[in-house]
Amino acid sequence: MRPHETHPKDQVELPAPTAWPVILAFGLTLVFAGLLTSAAVSALGAVLTLAGCVGWFRQVLPVQQHEMVPAPHVAEAAPVVTETPDVARMKVFRDFHRARIPIEIYPAAAGVKGGLAGSVAMAVLACLHGVISHGSIWFPINLLAAIVFQNSLALPESYINSFHPLLLLVASLLHIVTSILVGLLYGVMLPMFPRRPIILGGLIAPVLWSGLLYTSLGIINPLLDQRIEWSWFVASQIGFGVVAGLVVVRQQRVKTRQFMPLAVLAGIEAPGILEEKDERSEEK
Amino acid sequence: MSSESLPISGLAGLETKPRPTWIEVLHEWLVTVDHKKLGIMYIVYALVFLVVGGVEATILRIQLAIPHAHFVSPQVFNRMFTMHGTTMIFFVAMPVLFGFANYLVPLMIGARDMAFPRLNAFSFWLTAFGGLLLYFSFLGGDGLYGAGSTPDVGWWAYAPLTSVAFSRGHSTDYWTISLLVSGFGTIGTAVNIVATVLSMRCPGMTLGKMPLLVWLNLVMSGMLLFTITPLTAAQLMLMIDRYMGGHFFDTQAGGSAAIWMHFFWIFGHPEVYVLIIPCFAFVSEIVPVFSRKPIFGYPIMVAATVCIGFVSLSVWAHHMYTIGMTSYENAFFVLTTLAVGVPTGIKIFNWLGTMWGGKIRYELPMMWCLGFLFQFLIAGLTGIMLGAAPFDWQLGNSYFVVAHFHYVIVGGILFALFGAFYYWFPKITGKMLDKKLGHWHFWLFLFGFHMTFDFMHIPGLLGMPRRIYTYEAGRGWAIWNLIVTIGVFFQAVAVLMFVFNMIHSYFRGRVAGNDPWDAWTLEWATSSPPPEYNFAVIPEVKSRRPLWDLKHPEDPDWKYE
Repeated sequence: MRPHETHPKDQVELPAPTAWPVILAFGLTLVFAGLLTSAAVSALGAVLTLAGCVGWFRQVLPVQQHEMVPAPHVAEAAPVVTETPDVARMKVFRDFHRARIPIEIYPAAAGVKGGLAGSVAMAVLACLHGVISHGSIWFPINLLAAIVFQNSLALPESYINSFHPLLLLVASLLHIVTSILVGLLYGVMLPMFPRRPIILGGLIAPVLWSGLLYTSLGIINPLLDQRIEWSWFVASQIGFGVVAGLVVVRQQRVKTRQFMPLAVLAGIEAPGILEEKDERSEEK
Repeated sequence: MSSESLPISGLAGLETKPRPTWIEVLHEWLVTVDHKKLGIMYIVYALVFLVVGGVEATILRIQLAIPHAHFVSPQVFNRMFTMHGTTMIFFVAMPVLFGFANYLVPLMIGARDMAFPRLNAFSFWLTAFGGLLLYFSFLGGDGLYGAGSTPDVGWWAYAPLTSVAFSRGHSTDYWTISLLVSGFGTIGTAVNIVATVLSMRCPGMTLGKMPLLVWLNLVMSGMLLFTITPLTAAQLMLMIDRYMGGHFFDTQAGGSAAIWMHFFWIFGHPEVYVLIIPCFAFVSEIVPVFSRKPIFGYPIMVAATVCIGFVSLSVWAHHMYTIGMTSYENAFFVLTTLAVGVPTGIKIFNWLGTMWGGKIRYELPMMWCLGFLFQFLIAGLTGIMLGAAPFDWQLGNSYFVVAHFHYVIVGGILFALFGAFYYWFPKITGKMLDKKLGHWHFWLFLFGFHMTFDFMHIPGLLGMPRRIYTYEAGRGWAIWNLIVTIGVFFQAVAVLMFVFNMIHSYFRGRVAGNDPWDAWTLEWATSSPPPEYNFAVIPEVKSRRPLWDLKHPEDPDWKYE
């Protein structure tokens, strides 16, 4: 049967059965099996493989061979029915208690802005510390980069107080990326602290974070721990927290879907809850 | 009752043919390129090897039931665990999943066959001959050299054990070459499934409206194309080492044994996902039907599967913590291993979300899926424990690992597979499996499974290494090993009941009808068993549940998707 040739409506065109695939597969297996047994087995496999390839090509070239299979007319189709035509609806409680999850949040952009503003405040305080305590603004920058280049901390003080472009690049990247991530975290968390969010996010959280680092840095990175002056460290953390918090809380809040019932949020039972589409719009 | 019809026909109106002779039947199956017949052949082939692999496992467990046992010799023990692992992975799990994929994917997407029907037949026969060649080693392994027999190097076949110096004769070559041959078949089937899904879907079935089973088999096949090739390459390298004096894995000549491990596990770990993803597919089809609700979070389920497909390609070296990698490598593979648990966890939540609030019907397919859910969760948790390098340093290569792995393979994959058998057997044969025998099968197997694999963790924690032939008394391992072995017999009896149930129901089972489960995907719209052409006229769908739309014209899904 050639392609596109018309055929009766009560017949369906299907690929013709063929023995060549099994012959080819058997031949290939024998080719390999000869490595385990005898060259004669491989030779027989090669013959079968060749025959299988030729036979297969003749099956599909110039046109694939098909067979016509009788099929009943469409009108005789069995109906698709169900024994349970009724559809039950899940009950949805719209006054669901959602006290702990904010119904308004800050957009992601607010967190990014807050993080960037906080990063500037932190950088100013850190550089001030460098100038006042070590006579160099490069000290805190090199110290930050030492998270990656730990060996630099073992070098003399003069090295840590001088300018190094690679260390500046690394420190800047670390500072900006971390600040943005923490800013995003603030954007998410601040709406969850309804009372005095600036005190919680700007003061208490940095102090807790600094305390955690103070107790653990000696184990994680003793060299870095020796170089850090903790009063300045806490001051710069608070500077970041307060500025980031102030910037974030001044942004416009957006509504979440938290006020909606859990069933809707989870997409558990769409029919009857979500807006239905119009048939015509579907057809479009 | 609503009554609509897709332009899909049953067998009504066909002329009755005379009963064919057995030689005609044999010829028909030998030359067939029909995806359904090839699917059935894959499944039957795998079931035969399931029994064979099960017998091998039973031999292993009898040997380990008590200290100082001599049920088999150490040499036979090594052969048995090698053949058991190789058989179960390559000649049971993969063929049976390919069988279901072959049978179901074209039906579910409204196609008449796979994209490349002849390649489909070729792939099946390569897989089949590969398995037969492996088992021919029982007869021909000694060869002309009088050395070797069946392979005895474990299913990982680590170097340098596979080198000519340590593995005389052809036993290892049987392992290598049979997997190479069946691997070509696997690649062919994977290509075929990808092509079929991408190019043969019926009108209206966009990617977003495909049944989850089809989506998951697409991901599985895509993964196979990436993972089988390293194994095939490694097998060829091993053949060069063994036949032509190469040194790829010869550490004394500049080669590396660790390279074999990398090649093997780049295949080996994604392979676990290759096996489990189709089982996720079964569960994703069965749970909604028996909860009487649409699947919860369809897009997330698809995204999680694709995510698993990608992440699982980067976790292989968690099998190699004990070879002494750098701390950076350890950290990377710990992180990726833990990360792959996230999308997997999402899936478990989604199945639970599907059941939540539904009208659950505790039919046999659903019961197997519930067993799967619970056990796969436990398997995932022990997987996370072993994924942490320090934990693995303590328990790597112990029976704890064996217990974890079998929790995945048996508790996860096999349970889902049994669910699939009970669910689609009526479609494939037109007969229902016997319910009473099915319940016996389920409860016996569940009991035996937990007896074996729950308690297998304990000797592992007590320090019992895997693959040991026997052990000293007084180490605290004996009682646990005895319990584990007793559990195996419960499972063996259950599997035999299942095999009997299938044979009995095929000949004497209750007639199933086209749609015994009141399901929603296209395969249930055609007759049971489906005609050669599947659909007289290619159907057109508007939603993910085309049969729901027909059964409930007043409340169709397409209004909400």
